[in-house]
Amino acid sequence: MAKRIIKLTFPKDLIKEPLTFTMAKKYNIMPNIRRAKVTESVGELVLELDGQEQDLDKGVEFLKKSGVIVESIVGDVIG
Amino acid sequence: MSYVLGLKCRECGREYPKDVLFVCEYCFGSLEVNYDYKAIKKNLTKETLLGRPKNMWRYKELLPIDKDPAVGLDSGYTPLIKANNLARVLGVRELYLKDDSVNHPTLSFKDRVVSVAISKAREFGFDTVACASTGNLANSVSAQAASCGLKAYIFIPADLETGKVVASQIYNPNLIGIEGNYDEVNRLCSEIASRYRWAFVNINIRPFYAEGSKSMGYEIAEQLDWKLPKHIVVPSAGGSLITKLWKSFKELKELGFLEKADTKVYCAQGQGCAPIVTAIKEKSEVIRPVKPKTIAKSLAIGNPADGYYAVDTVRKSGGFAEEASDEEIVEAIKLLAKTEGIFTETAGGVTLAAAKKLIEQGIIPKDESIVICITGNGLKTLEVVTKSLPRLVKIKPNLASFEEHIKNGAHQKISENKVIEYYI
Repeated sequence: MAKRIIKLTFPKDLIKEPLTFTMAKKYNIMPNIRRAKVTESVGELVLELDGQEQDLDKGVEFLKKSGVIVESIVGDVIG
Repeated sequence: MSYVLGLKCRECGREYPKDVLFVCEYCFGSLEVNYDYKAIKKNLTKETLLGRPKNMWRYKELLPIDKDPAVGLDSGYTPLIKANNLARVLGVRELYLKDDSVNHPTLSFKDRVVSVAISKAREFGFDTVACASTGNLANSVSAQAASCGLKAYIFIPADLETGKVVASQIYNPNLIGIEGNYDEVNRLCSEIASRYRWAFVNINIRPFYAEGSKSMGYEIAEQLDWKLPKHIVVPSAGGSLITKLWKSFKELKELGFLEKADTKVYCAQGQGCAPIVTAIKEKSEVIRPVKPKTIAKSLAIGNPADGYYAVDTVRKSGGFAEEASDEEIVEAIKLLAKTEGIFTETAGGVTLAAAKKLIEQGIIPKDESIVICITGNGLKTLEVVTKSLPRLVKIKPNLASFEEHIKNGAHQKISENKVIEYYI
């Protein structure tokens, strides 16, 4: 099993979609919500994901294809 | 003696010991150094500063190292220049340039943060330091690791220009070119940082590294005789410098060095990579990452780690933000050189161009004091200005040839330039 920490940003039109749940169920990933913020215009979620490495890749790809912005929590490291 | 109490999460406020940590293990928020300001206030006064050498370590109580610095003994205390010629061109009353283009040892603002990071890495017992960089950071880590005998791994994009490779390679680090796009380079370096026990200066040492930026703020205040400017224009890549300048001003106020800290802070970015500027202008609560496309490579961070905090700082201060196109960056580099004799790299061009636009728009008033932060040296980005400069005039090696050239109006060409004409 592998772990991955990601930050998700949901555009306004995706806030109501159960994308995190769908990703978890479809790819057998256990998400642990560490921080969340939802406003009228945007939703932000910081998650720790637990699953098989290839499933994590597929799950993250699913979120990206659905229109969610997926980022590393440390931001870009090139300085 | 250190005045560091420990680390503190910027999101949930949870406290941690002084250790190699960079995110909160509960909410994954970033960590910041927490000081004992009461103790600092007893030991640091304006008078104690008078006898200290003019480098960034004169404010050592407010920097997060426990022992004497291992490197960067001559970093900081760069000139704060009263830019009267440039002020006339911009039509403003009181303008200063904080000139880190002459910072020691590698001619950029990064020498401040790397001095702290490498000194701290030594204290933690690391034998290897590392970074991922396209320029200034790589130069500074390479040079300062060499000066204190640490091993250095420097990761750069494989297609980086030769000049920039040489400026790091000369210090003999382990220099590795990664064949991949921007996202792939980022991802690989994050993976390497989590796998090897190295001091990755802007990842696992980041809370300490970033504190080095505060020295620029202390210097500006001291150089203005313990007053702050009304406005300060700051270039942004990851957004850290903005937040740390603000922190430095607030600290000086808390310590009684300043009567007030009401400077308005303005963020400057290149048009092709302006996620912080966009968030400020759109009054957005989140930063939308971008794929960088700007000649200002030293500011090309598409997903800024401190973006949210930079936006928050600018808003709290009452400042604003502006971006500069590639053409505006080049023109600003030339304007600074022509008026003040300072050759800055693209980041300095971005900052001046943004300041100029903010002044023209009336957002920065013309009759109040302004500081523009110049963070790097133009010799590092020669390629961006070369094409826009006039061709070299060639004459035969005799007086007649020179006088023929003069007769053809060479001297008049100089006065045709409106910028120079303004103050000749």
